[in-house]
Amino acid sequence: MSGIDGYDFRRYRRPAAYLTSLAALIALAAWQAEVDLGMFFRNADKGVAQLGAHFPPDSSVIGIMVKESLITVAMALLATPLGGAISLVFGIAAAKNISPPFIRSIARGLISIERALPEIVVLLFLIVVFGIGYFAGIMALAIGCVGMLGRLLGDAIEEIDKKTLESVELVGVTRSQLVRYAVLPEVLPAFISNLIFRFEVNIRASVVLGAVGAGGVGYELGKAMDLSDYQQATTAILAIVVLVLLSERLSDFLRKKVNAKSAALA
Amino acid sequence: MIRIDGLCKKLPDGRSLLNNISFSVKAGEFVGILGGSGAGKSLTLRCVMGLVQPTAGDIIFSRTKASGEEETFCIQNLSERRLREARRDMGVIFQGGNLVKRLTALENVMMGRLGHISPVRSWLYGFTDQEAKEAYEVLKSMKMEDYASRRVGNLSGGEQQRVAIARAIFQKPALYLADEPVSSLDPKNARKVMKLLKPLSKDKPVIGVFHQPHLTAEFCTRVIAIKGGEIVYDGAPDLDAATLAMVYEGELEEVAREPASVAADASSGFAAEEVASLRPGTITP
Ligand SMILES: Nc1ncnc2c1ncn2[C@@H]1O[C@H](COP(=O)(O)OP(=O)(O)OP(=O)(O)O)[C@@H](O)[C@H]1O
Ligand SMILES: [Mg+2]
Repeated sequence: MSGIDGYDFRRYRRPAAYLTSLAALIALAAWQAEVDLGMFFRNADKGVAQLGAHFPPDSSVIGIMVKESLITVAMALLATPLGGAISLVFGIAAAKNISPPFIRSIARGLISIERALPEIVVLLFLIVVFGIGYFAGIMALAIGCVGMLGRLLGDAIEEIDKKTLESVELVGVTRSQLVRYAVLPEVLPAFISNLIFRFEVNIRASVVLGAVGAGGVGYELGKAMDLSDYQQATTAILAIVVLVLLSERLSDFLRKKVNAKSAALA
Repeated sequence: MIRIDGLCKKLPDGRSLLNNISFSVKAGEFVGILGGSGAGKSLTLRCVMGLVQPTAGDIIFSRTKASGEEETFCIQNLSERRLREARRDMGVIFQGGNLVKRLTALENVMMGRLGHISPVRSWLYGFTDQEAKEAYEVLKSMKMEDYASRRVGNLSGGEQQRVAIARAIFQKPALYLADEPVSSLDPKNARKVMKLLKPLSKDKPVIGVFHQPHLTAEFCTRVIAIKGGEIVYDGAPDLDAATLAMVYEGELEEVAREPASVAADASSGFAAEEVASLRPGTITP
């Protein structure tokens, strides 16, 4: 008997089954990818030697790395508001309570596609269109925002009380006024908080895209590695670590401010 | 003035929600609509607001323009633009107010004028100081000035309801429509709100849906009762017990328990003889 009073006790053994199948799946994947654990140990000395080659950091390029870091920040700084603006349009178009069904499904579709594409894929495409450089990088970062920010905004707008929208509409407003006075006040604080978080993400993404050719400190790192100038690479890596940590702190600080302000009474 | 003529609403499956609703309300009248749950009260108002397209019938809404000439709207067949124009002149008040919770009371009141402001101006400039001042005056006239810069989401139900009324007043409409403006309020606040609505009817028609016959008896100039999508009473506001019994049928007990309404007859029940002693007012069976 597996149950009493219709209660199925078998549910409690399921985790074991899940774990077993998960382990089998991992084993299968490892076999497929030709993972060789032995290689890890055989090459351990090489890894240590490689780490050694990275030290000490090359202090002569600190100036360059700081400058290139600033370029990385500038790219994220330009891309984030631009991405925010695009996301605002897509988010509004994606909300079924304020946007016609046809437009909504197009917007939702594009947002889903964007979300499925890593930034780097977008960049590779844009490099073909705009050529290698900052502009393609900034556009790739901006477009990269839409999948996350547009979706979150669209969902937030759809959650606005239907009765509130109706009551403002009954004053005789146009759709754009409805957006301005009934939609944005309700969703903007959360949107700005998400946007600041996205700035932090964009700093990281900007480093990665830089390595592919968009410029900035990521590009310097890629170049140094290609030229086997590992001590110079270490300086770049340190700059990146500092940059990411700083942007995290800044984003935390700003988001706390925004949240506190939007939650404040009165 | 608002005139509803032979209003019908049928569902695609043939079920009739409203059947031949006709009445007109002019300035000076404060009409209370009574009726049980699902009777069609809200639906009637929603047809007037142009939110629901009726199956048949006319809804004629007329207002006097600033130039002094009369303008008439046939609500059921307006373009989107004309419907916006008509709505500009309807002050709508809902149960709970349905305000924008994150904006302040004053901002919500000012929104009453949005229909008169171009979209470009509302995006780039906002409201003028003069408009803000006038909105504040309206709040002040309702003793709500202390709440002007408070966020509406943090106000009590009664306070929100009063902000909603202030918004409607600030709108300077040619007609007031209120769907259950006092239903979520305690008796004291309900009376407060009724006292605010009453004077609006001095120079504009006011139509409100209520669930408290004692309040409509005290404040309204006329009561219309709807049952099963049809008007079953249209007349003096002080309905007698038998009429109320007829209007509410199964829901009678709850209604009778409302204070000071028909309490005298509550215990004895509603005997058929009492129909004979009907007060003036027309019962349309
Ligand atoms: N869009 C619609 N589609 C189908 N049925 C509807 C629609 N709108 C309203 N109804 C129905 O019409 C009837 C009347 O609804 P209405 O909202 O007017 O009731 P009411 O008199 O306001 O009741 P209450 O006092 O509970 O608010 C109800 O049976 C309701 O289910
Ligand atoms: Mg209703």
